[in-house]
Amino acid sequence: MRPKRLPEWFVLLLPAFIVMAAVVLIPLLFSLYSSFTPYKLTRPSTLWRWVGTYNYEKILSDWKFWSAFGRTVLFLTIVLNLELLLGLGIALMMNKVTWGQRTLRTVLMFPMMFSPILVGFQFKFIFNDNIGLVNNALQSLGISDAALPWLVDGKLAMFSIIFAEIWMSTSVFAILILAGLFAMPRDPLEAAKVDGCTAWQTFRHITLPFLMPFIYIAMTIRSLDVARAYDIVQIMTGGGPARRTELLWTLMSRTGYVDARMGLANAMGYVSILLSIVFTIYFFRKLSAARAELGMAG
Amino acid sequence: MKKSKFTKGLLASCAVLASAESALSSDWGSFEGVTIEAKLIGGQQYEGLYGRIADWEAATGAKVEIISKKSHFEIDREIKSDMAAGTTDWCIGSNHSSFAPQYEGLYVDLNDYVDASVIEGFVPGTITASTVGGDLLMLPRAQFDVSVLYYLKSNYEDAQKAEAFEAQFGYPLAVPQTWEQVKDQAIFFADPPNFYGTQYAGKDEAIVGRFYEMVVAEGGNFLDEDNRPIFNSDAGQRALQWFVDLYEAKAVPAGTTSYVWDDLGQGFASGTVALNLDWPGWAGFFNNPDSSKAAGNVGVAVQPMGSVTRTGWSGHHGFSVTDDCANKEAAASLVAFLTSEESQLAESAGGSLPTRTAVWEANIAKARAGDDPFRTEALEAFAEGAKYAFAVPPIPEWGESTNLVFPELQAAIVGDKTVEEALDDAAEAVDELMRESGYY
Repeated sequence: MRPKRLPEWFVLLLPAFIVMAAVVLIPLLFSLYSSFTPYKLTRPSTLWRWVGTYNYEKILSDWKFWSAFGRTVLFLTIVLNLELLLGLGIALMMNKVTWGQRTLRTVLMFPMMFSPILVGFQFKFIFNDNIGLVNNALQSLGISDAALPWLVDGKLAMFSIIFAEIWMSTSVFAILILAGLFAMPRDPLEAAKVDGCTAWQTFRHITLPFLMPFIYIAMTIRSLDVARAYDIVQIMTGGGPARRTELLWTLMSRTGYVDARMGLANAMGYVSILLSIVFTIYFFRKLSAARAELGMAG
Repeated sequence: MKKSKFTKGLLASCAVLASAESALSSDWGSFEGVTIEAKLIGGQQYEGLYGRIADWEAATGAKVEIISKKSHFEIDREIKSDMAAGTTDWCIGSNHSSFAPQYEGLYVDLNDYVDASVIEGFVPGTITASTVGGDLLMLPRAQFDVSVLYYLKSNYEDAQKAEAFEAQFGYPLAVPQTWEQVKDQAIFFADPPNFYGTQYAGKDEAIVGRFYEMVVAEGGNFLDEDNRPIFNSDAGQRALQWFVDLYEAKAVPAGTTSYVWDDLGQGFASGTVALNLDWPGWAGFFNNPDSSKAAGNVGVAVQPMGSVTRTGWSGHHGFSVTDDCANKEAAASLVAFLTSEESQLAESAGGSLPTRTAVWEANIAKARAGDDPFRTEALEAFAEGAKYAFAVPPIPEWGESTNLVFPELQAAIVGDKTVEEALDDAAEAVDELMRESGYY
């Protein structure tokens, strides 16, 4: 009798399964397990002390965590919407350019090429209240005679961080939407022209619906990025002052790496991952609906 | 036999040239074939000392492999990861008196590996601060940090200013001796946004350390004997009120709550800050015309006192030997070499403060004999300031407690909470941490 052989498809995929398990599944399970322990990096033995849902209970009743959670949702919402509007505007304008468009597209991508840490330092200097460019410009032009606390005032500090984030990543939207514009069939646009539609009507009823799948793909990618915002915030404000700009990742990284409370930080990670899941599901559903509307497969 | 000051002064001036010979002539042991892996703090100012490692290698036959060279905060994170992963078989780690207590079980008690006579040569306070639970966890290098007051001299040479100040505050304008006087003068000198009276580090451990020393200067303390938080006392409220008053009066830059050391140093060097409590490493930078607009106009004085005493939250760098090191004797020999009198003379020649008594005396004698009155003034101020130095509580939770306290201090400063509310909230959070940690 011949020994039972594993199916070929399984054998072929086995290396991929092993790699995925090693780099994704095992770390995920390990971090999930450690979120039920008081694991401190400096006391490895604490990894084996089971405390059940203590970390989760602590987080659920911690207003500092929920404030950071709420602030992250607000940050996500503002950044995504502004990046969409600006990216859409840039893409539409660039689509009209007939000469030097390739060069412009390359220039547009420059901010994305910088490390977020460098962008953070750049804007920390620009928004410095004493020696920063913005205040010096405002004072030199006679617009203000005060040193505006860009990185301290609650509203201004959030604005400064949002500005830096948008400066760095708007081009993601612009490039993806531009790709959509390039792929757009010309017939419906010409038909609209023949029917006497205004530019706004053409955009509202033909161009925008066609672009929606591209917009939702960009939204999904960026929502995951923005929900993990850390470098820029950490460099510019460190989440302060007085937690005014504290986002989930600045809180988690301080808890996990500075305070060494990795068990608690992992529990925070698992609660906050809900945020990414909700946003991802929402945008994927919107993407499917937009594709269905265009007659594409759901 | 005790060496005379003259001999020590002579030693100081010859130290750099003679260091290689000293290394070879001292008995650092023989460790032929041994390789010592080290994780060291990185930075241009530290390279001079690391250059001397070749002398120790020549004297002992051992090799040193530097496997990591980063800032202390990065080294700290890396060491924590090593502890978590169990990869702590490297031998020497750069350490800091603020960080040392948290690495439980990582480093050996150097009392078992270094002769008592060697340890006696260090400033006693630095040995106390390097000792946690009775174990001497590191030997201090020539990087002793205590703050003193840097000030712009021109503010005290203007007769009109002096007259106006005395008319307003009722006492003569002179370099401040108390924190109350610092506040008065900072408010008096301030002309925002062009000029500020003073500034302070406004986040992380930096502001908590400053607050801590002010609480002690006001007669209070951060924790009691059982490690319960007691900084929300009257003394604590007076201390925090000082920060709040300066901020409200716009005597400090509006962004001071986001500043740490580099921002403060650059601020004073820009010539737009009258009074600046800061670390020794900045002295040369502030008085160097290439790096500072304040150069030639910088005075250095001992730190002011609170309503009870003068204090100085301080710390120092050091080198530790891991318990998992395969050859602890060789590692301890290298640590002793890097912190020896010769090494400290060479390292402190760059401007940092030594942690050995003999080297302090040698440096001051050398400065007095030379033609650099600023260096003499600075060294004397730091020598006096060091008398009031104290280290942070030697508990692993110190760093974590500062992360709980600093946002509350900021909340009071920027007006989100009253001083009392902020300190009570901070104390409540630290109390929970201490309870969770099993102190009471």
